[in-house]
Amino acid sequence: MNSVGQIILQLLRYAVYTAVYVGFVSRLELFGAGWCFLYLGFLLFLPLAMPVVVQLLLAFGIGLTMDIFFDTGGLHAAAAVLLAFVRPWVLRLLTPRDGYDLQDSVNVHQMGAQWFAVYLGLLVIVHHTAFFVLELGSFRHFGLTLVKILASFAFTSVALLIVQLLFFSQRSGRG
Amino acid sequence: MSNLFAFLFRFSGLLIFGLLEAVALYLYITSNSYHRAAFFNSANAYAGQVLERRMQVLDYFSLAEQNRRLLAENALLRQQIFRPDTAGREADSVALPPLPGDTLHRVRYRRTAARPRPDTLLLARRPVPSHDPVYPLVPARVISQTQRAVDNYLTLNVGTADGVVPGLGVIAAGGVVGRIKSVSAHYATATSLLHSKTTVSAKLRRDGTVGSLHWPGDDPLHALLDYIPRQNRLARGDTVVTSGYNAIFPDGLFIGVVDDFRKEADKNFWTVRVRLGVDFNRLSHVYVVHMPTKAERDTVEAHAGLKPTAEDVAP
Repeated sequence: MNSVGQIILQLLRYAVYTAVYVGFVSRLELFGAGWCFLYLGFLLFLPLAMPVVVQLLLAFGIGLTMDIFFDTGGLHAAAAVLLAFVRPWVLRLLTPRDGYDLQDSVNVHQMGAQWFAVYLGLLVIVHHTAFFVLELGSFRHFGLTLVKILASFAFTSVALLIVQLLFFSQRSGRG
Repeated sequence: MSNLFAFLFRFSGLLIFGLLEAVALYLYITSNSYHRAAFFNSANAYAGQVLERRMQVLDYFSLAEQNRRLLAENALLRQQIFRPDTAGREADSVALPPLPGDTLHRVRYRRTAARPRPDTLLLARRPVPSHDPVYPLVPARVISQTQRAVDNYLTLNVGTADGVVPGLGVIAAGGVVGRIKSVSAHYATATSLLHSKTTVSAKLRRDGTVGSLHWPGDDPLHALLDYIPRQNRLARGDTVVTSGYNAIFPDGLFIGVVDDFRKEADKNFWTVRVRLGVDFNRLSHVYVVHMPTKAERDTVEAHAGLKPTAEDVAP
């Protein structure tokens, strides 16, 4: 895919994830302690070969958008930038025996359930831990924060898995 | 020089990461202070429009519930308007039944015991002036809010066009809600009572003891009342109202009732848990309250050296 098409596709994905999250998903709550950070799908399902700097900028952009809507200053942005920074490390950790193919993408059908589970689990846990600890600013209420992290982790992971199963075909990644 | 560029290129990811993370954390930390102008919040016009459109859709799912609550509030307000003029009075003596042996069946009278502060209850019941043409009570709609984060905010659909400025108090039918933080032409962001930096000067209506209310950050239904001395006697169900000491809220506005209190071994004060009067889960209509004398009072207190500057008022 040429670069102009790539830019338009990413802008479209950004708009869709933001609209769905701000309009609808952000109001969902699991047991009063879990939220669905659906917009992480925008960052998690970016192409594998995208330069790190571009990923960081995109993470900062979408995080700041969420901060503007939910009055959190730079909280979403900080956690999202951390996620984008850790993502290449996790990808390196999970490299298949013969390296990534050119047409590989983050796709549960292509990479297998085990690869996808580890990838999603590690990154979402890192993001949620950073997010909720930063939000608290300290380690008070440790039990409550842990419950929030785990409940949100379950919610976000299941939602992103559903996104994968619904919108990603066997052949190539989209959405 | 080329080595430097090679170095910069090699570690560009790390450098950009550090830079962006620093910017994000700076924005996050400064967003908590009251008087730092915050641009990146939902009071700006675009975010406000999106949130208002969302609220217009979501409104339809709770119309019946909102109408019921507004009716209840209207009924309460009407009762205050048409209060009989004997409402504040109290009999100075009560009638007792005749003595069993008294054949004349004479009714006896006994004076009621004098209450310790005969007029504080009436003062605390002071109605908020809603018809004052110069400083009106501005009705507003909550178009977005959180209640489960550590620092919670509300977005209201009123702004400078309606006479709202930063620092004003926000109240609802149930009691105190929060305080305006930043304003644009048609939207305002308010820090909720459920915010780690919000404190409200409060007092117990029964005996007038003044304390300070803050939210510990875990439970949206309860807050803590600090600085009630241990020698004070408390009772479950005591009413907690605003003290009127900080010129944000008028004196005597309902905040909540005492739910639980206990002594801690190493403190001189009670640990009092207050059940909040406002149900933040179902908050939809609020009022922004003006305090006509606030500016004058702040000036006087600044001149007297009680406050460092007029801008630096503690929340």
